[in-house]
Amino acid sequence: MEILSHLLDGFAVAGTPTNLLICLIGAFLGTIIGMLPGLGPINGVAILLPIAYAMRLPPESALILLAAVYSGCEFGGRISAILINVPGDAGAVMTTLDGYPMAKNGLAGPALSISAVASFTGAIVATVGIVAFAPLLANWALAFGPAEYFALMVLALSCLGGLVGDSLLKAMVGVLIGLMIACVGIDANSGVYRFTFDLLHLSDGIPFIVVVIGLFAVSELMLMLQSHHGSTTPVEVTGRTMFNMQEFMLAKWTILRSSVVGFFVGVLPGAGASIASAMTYSMERRMAGKDHCFGEGDVRGVAAPEAANNASAYGSLIPMLTLGVPGSGTTAVMIGALTLYNITPGPTLFQDQPGIVWGLIASLAICSVMLVLMNIPLVKLFVKFLQIPNWVLVPGVAAVSMVGVYAVHGTTFDLIVGTLLGGFGYLLRVMNFPMAPFILGFVLGDMMEQNLRRALSISNGELNILFSSPISIGLWVAAIAMLVGPRLAKAIEMRRQRPAVI
Amino acid sequence: MSERIFGAFLLLLSVGGIFVGWDLKAPISYEPVGPRAFPLLVFSLLGVCALGLILTRREATEWAPSPVLLRVGAMFLTVLAYALLFDKLGFVISTALMSVPLARFFGGTWRQAMLAGTGLGVLLFLFFDRLLDVVLPVGYWLKPLLG
Repeated sequence: MEILSHLLDGFAVAGTPTNLLICLIGAFLGTIIGMLPGLGPINGVAILLPIAYAMRLPPESALILLAAVYSGCEFGGRISAILINVPGDAGAVMTTLDGYPMAKNGLAGPALSISAVASFTGAIVATVGIVAFAPLLANWALAFGPAEYFALMVLALSCLGGLVGDSLLKAMVGVLIGLMIACVGIDANSGVYRFTFDLLHLSDGIPFIVVVIGLFAVSELMLMLQSHHGSTTPVEVTGRTMFNMQEFMLAKWTILRSSVVGFFVGVLPGAGASIASAMTYSMERRMAGKDHCFGEGDVRGVAAPEAANNASAYGSLIPMLTLGVPGSGTTAVMIGALTLYNITPGPTLFQDQPGIVWGLIASLAICSVMLVLMNIPLVKLFVKFLQIPNWVLVPGVAAVSMVGVYAVHGTTFDLIVGTLLGGFGYLLRVMNFPMAPFILGFVLGDMMEQNLRRALSISNGELNILFSSPISIGLWVAAIAMLVGPRLAKAIEMRRQRPAVI
Repeated sequence: MSERIFGAFLLLLSVGGIFVGWDLKAPISYEPVGPRAFPLLVFSLLGVCALGLILTRREATEWAPSPVLLRVGAMFLTVLAYALLFDKLGFVISTALMSVPLARFFGGTWRQAMLAGTGLGVLLFLFFDRLLDVVLPVGYWLKPLLG
């Protein structure tokens, strides 16, 4: 009952005319950002965050805007996946496998509409999941002391190391560089200037927005130039725009199953939309038995990844809201948004700022309804945005990114640091260093250090306190399992497959 | 090879970081772990990882062909110049100047590039500065004129 009343309060926050408008604008912008290849949720959220801040939006509205953009991106990624065979964002990679063949067969309309419904179902299932599980988890996490928190953050980082990218070493380098950048600035406990080299601008540390925009917007534009091959023409949307009953019946259980699986994968730190969609796609393919045409335009092949990626995108908000520990790059940026407003993310958020948390949750539901209503009839309008030529788009994104960085402090210094980080990010990305560990390390750096020091202050310097409570031992074991587990599983799989090959 | 070079760079960085970080001491300390421990931990782990990058074998990085790389570098310098001049020339002029080469890199004709530059400069300024109240620099050259 208590949850219900909180939820109603949340709808009251999200339902004010301003917030509804913000939700609508965010959803619309998000769909476009998600659709444009190259720009994904993380760039979108990173570019819009400083602008929301500079517009002096209250924190709940800013978070609603970011969440709307985030879910809009997950909706938008599928449009370019289906129509031009290029995933608009990482979660839509699997959608190209069946979406593009469907569009080639003249079924672009049904592919787009069934995937919109799948995305919507995923979003709603995940919203229900958040309402059901998030308060419980937050309550449980209230018992965490600094030692448990430190172990939890190690777990979050090692999940990324285990799951993201091909190389553990590269993920670790990313985390460490992020932690290193987080060390710059005044130490909050002692007032000592660390690594500021007597530069006044560095005394507050490198602002979060500068790092994020440099790494994700500037370097992205450089990557876009690297892979620029002129323009691609989308497949024309002709014929019926709605799926028929038969297609729906074929896909309905797929959609539900994928939503549930996607949600739980999303809750795990580190495992994001791309893993969820890949997992459900292969799961559905296996379950379909012989009677399928996966890879050649099966409705289920479009429905499964789309349901999963939306559900997991929402699911990844759970660790962020309840523990204050982001599980993905995009939620890391949203944590940054909270800290920009001087709100400490963590389990106390549910008690201290119920308006923000429940407003955000309610807006997720409102947003998904808006998105599905927008996406089915307006798809032809959205396709128009795919035809924006890069010679307008790229300078535009560069200018808007700079506006975002400038909005924080209004100094040339920040703009230059952002650009330099962009160049650095480009080199890292070309060398296949995953970026999510980097940004997570940067966001968690300060919290990790504070909790470590607090824990050691309690124990008067004894390291044992880090491994003393059952919760922290469990978290350490889980962290090691996340690092070793996936590699072990892969090695066993390889060994099992080898005799079959020979 | 490029990863080894990068590893060497990281190794230098971590040695430098430890060197600079060694002297970080709080004048009055009332906690067992001071401001020095965490950075030193991070830098030494970074050093270990850098050694790992140098010593292990891995697939070679595929760099773009050199004309493309040259263009990417030119784009980086353009954006860097944009960052430097953003404040001084003001948003409208600097954006227009930055947009022209960027539009050219992405296959726009001169005409399109000019159009994109002036259009973006003026429209984005009006949109952010006037409509959304995000304050943008007008530039030193315009300030005296506006009074």
